[in-house]
Amino acid sequence: MIGSIILTIALASSIIAMVMYYLSYRGYNNALTFGRLAYHTMAMLVIVAAALLEYLLLTHQYGFKYVYEYSSNELPKGILMATFWAGQEGSFMLWLLLTSIVGLILQSYASKRGDLEPRVMSVFALATSFILIMVSPMFKNPFVYIWSEPIFISIKDINASLVHLPIIQNFLFSDGSSGQEFVKMNSSLFGILTSNGIPIKEFIVNGRGLNPQLTNFWMQIHPPILFTGFSMSTVPFCFAMAAMMKNDYKDWVRQAFPWLLATAGILGLGIMLGGYWAYEMLGWGGYWAWDPVENSSLIPWLVGVAGIHTLLVQRKSQAKGDNVGKFAKTNLILAIMMYVLVIYSTFLTRSGVLGDASVHSFVNPGTMVYLFLVIFVGTFLLLGLGTLAYRWKFLTLHEKSEENLLSRELSLFTAAVVLCASATIILVGTSAPIFGHSVDAAFYNQMHIPIAIIIGLLNGGSLLLKWKTTKPQELLKKSLFSVSATIIVTALIIVLGGISDVLVMLLTLTTTFALIVNLEIAVKIIRGNKKMLGAYVSHIGIALFLLGVISSSIYSREKDLDLVKNQTKDAFGYQMTFTGYRSIDNDTKYAFDINVKKGDKEFTISPVMYISDFNNGLMREPAILSMLTKDFYISPLGYDNGTSSDQATQGQTISLNLGDETNFDGAKISYTNFVAPDMSVMTSGGDFQMGADLTVMKGGKTYSVEALMKKEGRDVHFVPIELKDANLKIQLQKIDPTSKNAQIIFSKLSGDNTAVSKPKEVLSISASTKPFVNLVWSGVVIMVFGFFISVSRRLKESII
Amino acid sequence: MKNKYIFGAFIIVVFLGFMVYLFTQSNIKYESNFAKVMNENKIVRATGTWVKDKNYVIDRNNQTFTFYITDSNGNQMKVIYDGMMPNNFESAKSVVVTGQYKDGYFHASSILTKCPSKYEGQNTPDVKTSNL
Repeated sequence: MIGSIILTIALASSIIAMVMYYLSYRGYNNALTFGRLAYHTMAMLVIVAAALLEYLLLTHQYGFKYVYEYSSNELPKGILMATFWAGQEGSFMLWLLLTSIVGLILQSYASKRGDLEPRVMSVFALATSFILIMVSPMFKNPFVYIWSEPIFISIKDINASLVHLPIIQNFLFSDGSSGQEFVKMNSSLFGILTSNGIPIKEFIVNGRGLNPQLTNFWMQIHPPILFTGFSMSTVPFCFAMAAMMKNDYKDWVRQAFPWLLATAGILGLGIMLGGYWAYEMLGWGGYWAWDPVENSSLIPWLVGVAGIHTLLVQRKSQAKGDNVGKFAKTNLILAIMMYVLVIYSTFLTRSGVLGDASVHSFVNPGTMVYLFLVIFVGTFLLLGLGTLAYRWKFLTLHEKSEENLLSRELSLFTAAVVLCASATIILVGTSAPIFGHSVDAAFYNQMHIPIAIIIGLLNGGSLLLKWKTTKPQELLKKSLFSVSATIIVTALIIVLGGISDVLVMLLTLTTTFALIVNLEIAVKIIRGNKKMLGAYVSHIGIALFLLGVISSSIYSREKDLDLVKNQTKDAFGYQMTFTGYRSIDNDTKYAFDINVKKGDKEFTISPVMYISDFNNGLMREPAILSMLTKDFYISPLGYDNGTSSDQATQGQTISLNLGDETNFDGAKISYTNFVAPDMSVMTSGGDFQMGADLTVMKGGKTYSVEALMKKEGRDVHFVPIELKDANLKIQLQKIDPTSKNAQIIFSKLSGDNTAVSKPKEVLSISASTKPFVNLVWSGVVIMVFGFFISVSRRLKESII
Repeated sequence: MKNKYIFGAFIIVVFLGFMVYLFTQSNIKYESNFAKVMNENKIVRATGTWVKDKNYVIDRNNQTFTFYITDSNGNQMKVIYDGMMPNNFESAKSVVVTGQYKDGYFHASSILTKCPSKYEGQNTPDVKTSNL
């Protein structure tokens, strides 16, 4: 309750801040102080609300729905803190918190730069107001009580000493198929509990817990960094709006520049960490699956990076005395679109429209949230583009645009166009599910090969061009070294790497060219003004990244193998021996040790598999043998301990209902009668048996058999039946007393089964090599580092 | 000046053309009506739910998994998938199979199971039986 009150007051403060700042911009000078006060009040309240949510999580207050749904007593402290952003409500809270903090920094930044503050902050407060509405009690509020809507809580999470109280018996439910019991928590149960003096905290004693795939270090750092990037992308939008409000396009370029660079750096880092997480933990086999969640954060990043390039041109032309400068409209559009696409990305991933398209499932949050997100996107899009339309005539009149073909201006503009093309492709592909369509990864991959080739070419080429214009002879002279070095290095890569595809050759060529040109310039600069290094470092990073992508994806080789225990198998020159498994993490997971021999070196790596209590699913974690030049990547597929039955790997499992008939290996089998267990014995936990009477017809003979499940003490076993004449083995696998559905394993006694009838432990894996995948990570890190060198340079220039 | 715009427009048209072409090439439609799935001779993504009451067969020798799915209108369809029963299949709320309907069954090359995941926890469990 208190949390919702705080957030509601924060929303009111945010709106007051927006209005006061706007009035201050319209000339009411005394409104400025109120605007500042209101914004700071809002930010403080948001910080308090976030602290409250964290406190509720850390103290296990399961009376709150969010705390119950995403955390549990078993989680280690670090992970428990990260459950803050495990669900929708919390990740909106995180976005809000980070945006508010960014706003505090922005307010201080803007207050030192002329009359900037009222304009920038009024737009910024509009953004915080929208996010505050999102977390308000109307929509995705994290402070909702657990009884506000009926929810089924597993009996395991209820205080065991209270389960037998007569007052709660009306709220007990059980699920027939799984046998689990639930308590239906709703307001009337809460009323009963309260009137009996039982606090909710003592009634619900544990939470549902966190998806095990999120229970790791990456969950702690990836979302905060990504959301920091999202939050910071609000700032260029506000600067663009502020410029249009004043109809003065000179200052915003310099003022927004360090922000845009820092945003691109942090967002890029966040995206990469997500990719690394997928690669290292989730076992998707790669770092990028063109999944909508990944894509939707990449789109605004690409647009932002495009903006960096054209802003540079505008800044340069302004330095020459232009008031508006080149590409003024382009830059405004890009700054607007970057933030609009961040909100659009939220819409795509949070509104339920991608329901069937992604491996992440998005539960539909309801029509209201859907509509609100549409309004959120629409408001900022219309506000941005509408204001631009209002200023369009003025801008067209004052914008200068003459470019020489061989100028750095035009090549930078082309770079921005290419980046926007890439963003468009991803946007189209990712949005397709809204219209009931979807695209393959091939769509993205094929579209991006030509784009990457052009990026490589521009990356290197634009740096050889001078501002304004370059004489062709001069260009030739200047590029002599880099072009010849590129040709030699590329030829070496093509020959050594055995590249045969023309497009890949071209891609290697242009990427190498970019790398060499940037290295050459960086080496020259490094002795001079190191602050100028930023762009070159970033470009070296992106070239290394592209080379890493080429080698690790196109030259990755993959093979599925069955590793029999203590038998050595070879894949790509790696001798692998499965030596057995051991339990790890307090017996909750199993590590499967594989001894890998390469040449005279020996390593042990251990992929992990376990059944998660959270969703009863099999979870797999890959193991990676990381070497300097390549990764050897093993994803576990399955494990068969060979002791249960040799049929586990042979024969067929067929599920039959009473009266069903089926065929196996020429035999006609019908399920004629259900052997019912003694219900009273069964419910009291005594020994019993149940099963299926089957009639088997084969070769003119008819057999009647009883496939049984026997429970003796704590053991359950399935009695195998062997019909020698019919060459048939029958064994029950599972039977449900309610539906009488039986799952039966049929196999042949002789033939291919006998050869493998000895118990064997088999680990199935998928092994792959990823050459130079390290370049992907180091490339991005270097690129981000470059962004921050530039930030420090551009920050100095932003003070007027 | 004029040339620049013509050149720019040309590039954009080529780019869009290429994109539309590839889009139609790699585009797979979602279909939740199985009557339409059965008449379609293209690869589609059919969304439905697993018919748990009907037989399913796991054939380990041929590495296939045969089961039935149904759409919301109650149309049932036999699916043969090249592979084993995927993770979480039994607890999945709905399944998305990608493939083509031919010779009386849907030949699936991939199965996507909709399970609780990264961004949202599962909702209420399917409680089938009534009050105890």
